[in-house]
Amino acid sequence: MNEEEYYVPEGTYWPIIGSIGVSTLFVGFANQMHGAEWGGSVMALGFAITVFMMFGWFGQVVNESTSGIYNKQVDRSFRWGMSWFIFSEVMFFAAFFGALFYARQLSVPWLGGADNNIFTPDLWNAFSASWHQMAFLAPGSVTDTALQSGTVMSFPVVPASGIETATPAMVVNPWGLPALNTALLLASGVTLTYAHHALRAGNRNQIVGWLVATIALGAAFLGFQIMEYGHAYQEGLKLTSGIYGSTFYMLTGFHGFHVTVGVIMLTVILYRVQKGHFNADNHFGFEGVAWYWHFVDVVWLGLFVFVYWL
Amino acid sequence: MTEFVIILIIIAILVALGFGLIGMVKGGKEGSDKMFKSLVTRVSLSVLLFILVLFSGYMGWIEPNIIMVDAPIAQK
Repeated sequence: MNEEEYYVPEGTYWPIIGSIGVSTLFVGFANQMHGAEWGGSVMALGFAITVFMMFGWFGQVVNESTSGIYNKQVDRSFRWGMSWFIFSEVMFFAAFFGALFYARQLSVPWLGGADNNIFTPDLWNAFSASWHQMAFLAPGSVTDTALQSGTVMSFPVVPASGIETATPAMVVNPWGLPALNTALLLASGVTLTYAHHALRAGNRNQIVGWLVATIALGAAFLGFQIMEYGHAYQEGLKLTSGIYGSTFYMLTGFHGFHVTVGVIMLTVILYRVQKGHFNADNHFGFEGVAWYWHFVDVVWLGLFVFVYWL
Repeated sequence: MTEFVIILIIIAILVALGFGLIGMVKGGKEGSDKMFKSLVTRVSLSVLLFILVLFSGYMGWIEPNIIMVDAPIAQK
């Protein structure tokens, strides 16, 4: 195809199949959350339709690309498409980090009586304006094993007046799983950079090796994140545990979802590398996914620093 | 002071990531080179940041945010 022409694909049914798949998935999920027996099956069906769509749509684009009908203009469109997607992603996480800063620095102190103290008298009497004390636990519900293992430590807490207090505890220790997960994700950034280098040098075996390592590190991150959630949830940190619980799960949950998407994308790229779809000069598919992975990595770094440390 | 340095490195990481994006959008040999170099910079800075945060925590220059379960028994 020459430079002057622009390849315009024929109409395709994949977007509508994708919409049906995702809608079915969420209807199932919402009803599952509301205790409907059929929720799980509908969710599974929606998931299956979505996976079918991904195979079909990705496959179609890959076939178009390998059959040589894309020229430089199409390449430019893909790059701009990716950059708009990235822009929406940056805005998405910027809103959540904004919520974290707003709640922590402004709204919680205001409700606690900072500034003109105007809100405080009307508050529910059990309210305590504290950023990290978020859960309502019955006495003794912090397990002895957790205390002994050092993942949970006792801490003194000043109770709201007239309210009985239970054992306070530290649920998430920044030195433990969060630090390990940061190391894993950072390592995955390094292995992906090596894969990128190998691709630019045209060494396919090395690309495969480094990509497999990146995918494994991403999967390990997700495994540990599930462990961390299980532990935090058991100890009483839930979505309903006040503003801290909501913000914590919203940020880390959506990040985890992005890692999952990234692992899927990297797996597709691994398959394409093995099929020989890329060369040293032409590998936009790889570049798009690599940038996305670096972005997800940086979001986690921000989370690690701002949620756990600063 | 430590917090200031940490935030400065985070900004530098975001800038490197941004340059990587510009390289990716540009495409071609030049864009590809720019993207790769920027991403190498972002990875190096990230490793530096991680080490700095852990070292600062170890030295006591910064305190971790303690995620506590406390609690008033509030259901009544």
